[in-house]
Amino acid sequence: MEIIMSVVAGVLFAAGIYNLLQKQLLRIVIGTVILSNGAHLFILTMGKLKRGAPPVLEYGISDYADPLPQALILTSIVISFGLTSLLLVLSYRAAQENNTDNMEKLRGNHDE
Amino acid sequence: MLFAVLLPLILTLLIPFLSKVKDKVHTGIFVFFIPLGIFIFFVRFIGEGFSPELESYPWIPSLGISLDFYLDGLSLLFVLLISGIGALVTLYSIFYLHKSEKLAHFYVYLLLFMTAMLGVVLSDNVYVLYTFWELTSISSFLLIGYWNHREGSRYGAMKSMLITVFGGLSMLGAFMLLHVITGVTSVQQMIGSVDLILSSDYLPLILTLLLLGAFTKSAQFPFHIWLPDAMEAPTPVSAYLHSATMVKAGIFLVARFSPIFHGYEWFFIVVSGIGIITLCWASYMAVRQTDLKGILAFSTVSQLGMIMAMLGFGTEAAVFAAVFHILNHATFKGSLFMIAGIIDHESGTRDIRKLGGLMTLMPISATLALFASLSMAGVPLPFLNGFYSKELFFENSLHIGDTTLLIASVMKQAIPYLAVFGSIFTFVYSMYFLFGTFTGKQKLEQLPKKPHEAPIGMLIAPAILVFGVIFIGLFPNLFNETFLAHAAEAISGVKTHEHIVYWHGLKPAFYMSLIVVAFGTILYLFREKWWNIYKTIPGDLSFNRVYNRTLKGLDVYTSKLTKGYMNGSLRRYTALIISTIFIVTGLVMAGTNGFTFKTDDLAPITLPEIFVGIMVIAGAVGTILAKNNVAAIIILGVSGYGQALLFVFYRAPDLALTQLVIETITVALLLLCFHHLPQLSRRTEGTGFRLTNAVIAVGFGTLMTLIGISAHSSKWFATISDYFLETSHDLGGGDNVVNVILVDMRGLDTLFEITVLGIAAFSIYSLIKLRSKEGE
Amino acid sequence: MMSNLAVLPIIIPLVSGILLAFFHTKTPFVRHAAKLLSVISTGVAAYVFYYVVQNGTVTLETGGWEAPYGIVLVADLLAVTLVLTTNVIGLACVFYAPYSLTEQKERYYFYTFFFLLITGVSGAFLTGDLFNLFVFFEVLLMASYALITLGGEKVQLRESIKYVLVNLFSSIVFVTTVAFLYSVLGTVNMAQMAERVQEVEQQGILTTIGILLFFVFATKAALFPLYYWLPKPYTVPNPVVSAMFAALLTKVGVYSIIRMFTLVFIHDTTVTHELFIWIAGFTLVFGAIGALSTNNIKLVIAYNIIPAVGFMVMGIGIYNKTALSGSVYYMISDMIIKAALFLLAGAVAHIVGTSDLRKMKGLIHQLPLLGWLLFISAFVLAGVPPFSGFIGKLMIMQGGFADGEIAIVIIGLLSSLLILYSIMKIFVRGFWGEKDENIVIDRKTATALTWPVAFLVFLTVLLGIGAEIFYPVIDNISNQLMNPEIYIDSVFKE
Repeated sequence: MEIIMSVVAGVLFAAGIYNLLQKQLLRIVIGTVILSNGAHLFILTMGKLKRGAPPVLEYGISDYADPLPQALILTSIVISFGLTSLLLVLSYRAAQENNTDNMEKLRGNHDE
Repeated sequence: MLFAVLLPLILTLLIPFLSKVKDKVHTGIFVFFIPLGIFIFFVRFIGEGFSPELESYPWIPSLGISLDFYLDGLSLLFVLLISGIGALVTLYSIFYLHKSEKLAHFYVYLLLFMTAMLGVVLSDNVYVLYTFWELTSISSFLLIGYWNHREGSRYGAMKSMLITVFGGLSMLGAFMLLHVITGVTSVQQMIGSVDLILSSDYLPLILTLLLLGAFTKSAQFPFHIWLPDAMEAPTPVSAYLHSATMVKAGIFLVARFSPIFHGYEWFFIVVSGIGIITLCWASYMAVRQTDLKGILAFSTVSQLGMIMAMLGFGTEAAVFAAVFHILNHATFKGSLFMIAGIIDHESGTRDIRKLGGLMTLMPISATLALFASLSMAGVPLPFLNGFYSKELFFENSLHIGDTTLLIASVMKQAIPYLAVFGSIFTFVYSMYFLFGTFTGKQKLEQLPKKPHEAPIGMLIAPAILVFGVIFIGLFPNLFNETFLAHAAEAISGVKTHEHIVYWHGLKPAFYMSLIVVAFGTILYLFREKWWNIYKTIPGDLSFNRVYNRTLKGLDVYTSKLTKGYMNGSLRRYTALIISTIFIVTGLVMAGTNGFTFKTDDLAPITLPEIFVGIMVIAGAVGTILAKNNVAAIIILGVSGYGQALLFVFYRAPDLALTQLVIETITVALLLLCFHHLPQLSRRTEGTGFRLTNAVIAVGFGTLMTLIGISAHSSKWFATISDYFLETSHDLGGGDNVVNVILVDMRGLDTLFEITVLGIAAFSIYSLIKLRSKEGE
Repeated sequence: MMSNLAVLPIIIPLVSGILLAFFHTKTPFVRHAAKLLSVISTGVAAYVFYYVVQNGTVTLETGGWEAPYGIVLVADLLAVTLVLTTNVIGLACVFYAPYSLTEQKERYYFYTFFFLLITGVSGAFLTGDLFNLFVFFEVLLMASYALITLGGEKVQLRESIKYVLVNLFSSIVFVTTVAFLYSVLGTVNMAQMAERVQEVEQQGILTTIGILLFFVFATKAALFPLYYWLPKPYTVPNPVVSAMFAALLTKVGVYSIIRMFTLVFIHDTTVTHELFIWIAGFTLVFGAIGALSTNNIKLVIAYNIIPAVGFMVMGIGIYNKTALSGSVYYMISDMIIKAALFLLAGAVAHIVGTSDLRKMKGLIHQLPLLGWLLFISAFVLAGVPPFSGFIGKLMIMQGGFADGEIAIVIIGLLSSLLILYSIMKIFVRGFWGEKDENIVIDRKTATALTWPVAFLVFLTVLLGIGAEIFYPVIDNISNQLMNPEIYIDSVFKE
């Protein structure tokens, strides 16, 4: 299953990157969201999958899923959320000020 | 010696105060005493019993950098030139520069130069030598740019800096190699390890780098091009830096390192070869100049070439002759520069085509110029020092040591002829300078000012130098034992001096001198007949054009190249970055057999998970395929919720909850933001565009998958998580291990995760609230 | 040595930033408070530095969880030196800021972001945990996003979005790489990683992950060919922000490369470090070319960041003690001089009203001190003695020659010439020439903007001429870097 999940995460990366390479700002933002989902899936997969119970200690259970990746993902999800929100507002403002949401039109001039 | 070197530098601190009273006392008067004092301090070392002295002060001993001042015959010669000519030039400048000029700047730069130049010739430590070397380039840059409101001045300053700093950096490369090979930083100790150096594989590289330093500084062909443009500097500077001292730093460097290389035949080939080419080319080019200082600049280049050639010959006699000529050149060329300055000052022009017949108006200057020019031309008269050294040069060109390499043997045959060729043109330009200015028809109407003789103060310095010309000419052997022999000894290792006589029989050297005078006279008299040759050689060819083209090219092509790939397109940037990471990491993975694949420790494959996995993938890919923006956002949500389901499957309830909440908010935010955007561009992408995206995306995705699989197949160690499971309850006081990790074991992460959120919140607030008004 | 000292350089700016957020509307008060807090922070950093010099590495196991399980902060000499440098630069910036920023920007949390940036940078230097390093990266990046967008001008928004996206991408790869490493090594503690890497037999996958991680840091450090995002966005925010970015952000990337590739990934240097040398070579060339390509003085200086990073990475690639000493020395020197140059260019642009070199001339008449500071800076950058750039470059290049890396050293020398040319062009074209009577100078602002620059330039001169004073520290640092067991022992053997 880990192999399959690695492939799924890889596909998420690919889809994210494809979106990142688009012209339209919205798609780019979507790309970053997919990318971080891919990253989180990788983190989870890198602990072992489905070995034991959820890491909430209970009497009599000795096998638990690896708690550390979950903790790392939680931290990372929250950070990603912060980033995504900022990015959204930034894109919105940039698109508004420059009157386009096409990144290819936001190249600017080298010397200015 | 430390004090002597630093004295000028210390005085620079006082200059701003001294220049406050410049209306009453010319700042130069204060400055004058510095080089004079240094001259007097060092002149007492002259004597037969002189032996080298070393003074050492630590600076950065950890890096082997210490202020070691080593005074031997060679450095003594240079120190006296620097301080002696320095004093005369300062004296001259007092009359040359009016009080309304920015005297403080001028004298600060000049004093900076004095310290730098003294440092160059006295430093035994290569890195300190390099430090002072670059300082001479810097002070020269500032002095050439003294009148920086002139375009030519700025151009000349930049040119000299680029070329000499280029050389300086090369030289630094050579020094570092020498340091690495020998393990010492002192020149004298390097000379002691000469075997190590000569047997090193890097020997050719060291020699090349070192000579680049020397040739650029001493304006050797083809790096001579900066010197004529350096004539934009005030004339005292030209006389001092660009004739008598700084340009001889390259000569000094070659002389200093001669003991290491003189057994190496390529040293002879390159140094003499370049020297003799410089001599011929520059003396030939000097005749074409119309600016008095231009003639002198090319003349300086050619004389430096001659000295360089003699150092390359490497025989004891040739080295002695080189040393002798260093002294002689300083006297006659220094005085000629000062006279050119006087003419410029008094007539308002240095254009030789407008000058002529000034003999009657400026008799003293004319007399001084007469002696100096004839000395420069090497006219066989018993009271001109230039003649003696020229004759020694001829003599030595005929007695070069044994050669083994073919090219060296060919050069050995050719050098005497080239020496005569160069000297003929030396004779021609000397006459051209002298007679073109002082005899012939007066063209006063073309002059900006009515010329008259310079004030007496201005004449003192050149007069002293011309006195030196004649004095050395009359008593050529006076300084041999006590002074010049020591300098020669420092270079060739043998205490030697020639007994110089005016007449030594009908030897080849005498015939060579005669040929020079005869042909020189003919060429000068019939110069109009052959001047057209300059239209063919060099014609349009010149190294200046190479320099200008290079700089222009740098401007144009760096700009083209950079704008070419830095085109501001985010897509371009990310594509390049991702491709690079993909290709290089992929290659490394392939090259190191990084891929591993093991199936023995995997979770079982179950259908629901596969189904959800497909849903996640479908959602992700769906965002690409969806034409409609809102649809794309919704589909993104599907993928995100799918991921939450996966978290449930994989025993991560906290994650699943968080993912659900966050995904919902994200989708809502996306919709909100893009709903409010005024206009959304249509998606128009060609097949090529999509294909590129797909290749990069699939490539990188595959790479990540492969690494992921390998990483998972390479679990070689027990994870630290076991510890968390064991201690969570007892030490952490909680049963939800993930929570305990977050708030306790890795509490720092969480603290700063909140900080990140906080910053994001503030930033969003200010992004929305703070809007710039136009033009702010 | 275990001590709470290790956390102070992180906590003080954090608290400062939060405190100032409360008073953000009271601009005059905030200004002075920021100055005071910056002085305190620098003072504490100096004390920690002194303490570490005297007593050796200080570690702190946060929350009392022993290493490698909890997050450990490791204040080794390299970290505290960089923390101190960071604070000193912050000090100069905080005195410069009020004259350069509009009051509005100050009010919209400039000082909060400023201190949190320092928090993130200091944290990144101090942490001994790879995932925690990621978190601190996010702190400093988030603060940098906030700062770069502050003001919301058109160009600013346009360029900062590129900046954000590229950095976002590399952050995502970063966190994924941490997961990969966790899978292979079972830990996120750097000291333990270092131990375990040496025990692994089949190291190909580690090298691969290492290179991936290198690219993450190389993107932040702006190495060839990943630096596209850097030059332009660095010219759009306020100079004080650019100065902080130039001094700190790329250097955090370089620091991370130094840390990971002297501590953890030293198992296959023929692949990794040889690759660095190649990359450094290209970085030097293309960076210098970029610096010559424009007439925008801010952009010239932004491009100059790139070859400097090339030099540092060259030292890491050469990987011997001399070269590493050089890299560290050059890094400190470059942090200071880059901050100075951005503040300087910003001051010029602020006073003259344009950063287009073609519209400037004869500024030396109106701004003599700034002119001469620029002049000196050019030589600091080019590595001309006796300034600090020379000492670092000298050691890097000596180390290169000693290991027979001839080509890269020659490239280094040539790029130095181009770098010098790029700055001297500004001096000759902008400062020399006839006085431009159209330019009216506000003396007070000009002076206030000049002093922080002078302070920083003075430091680089001091670092050059007084190199002997600082050398023992640098020597000690490179000694620790060449002997990773010192680091490992300081984490575990207490």
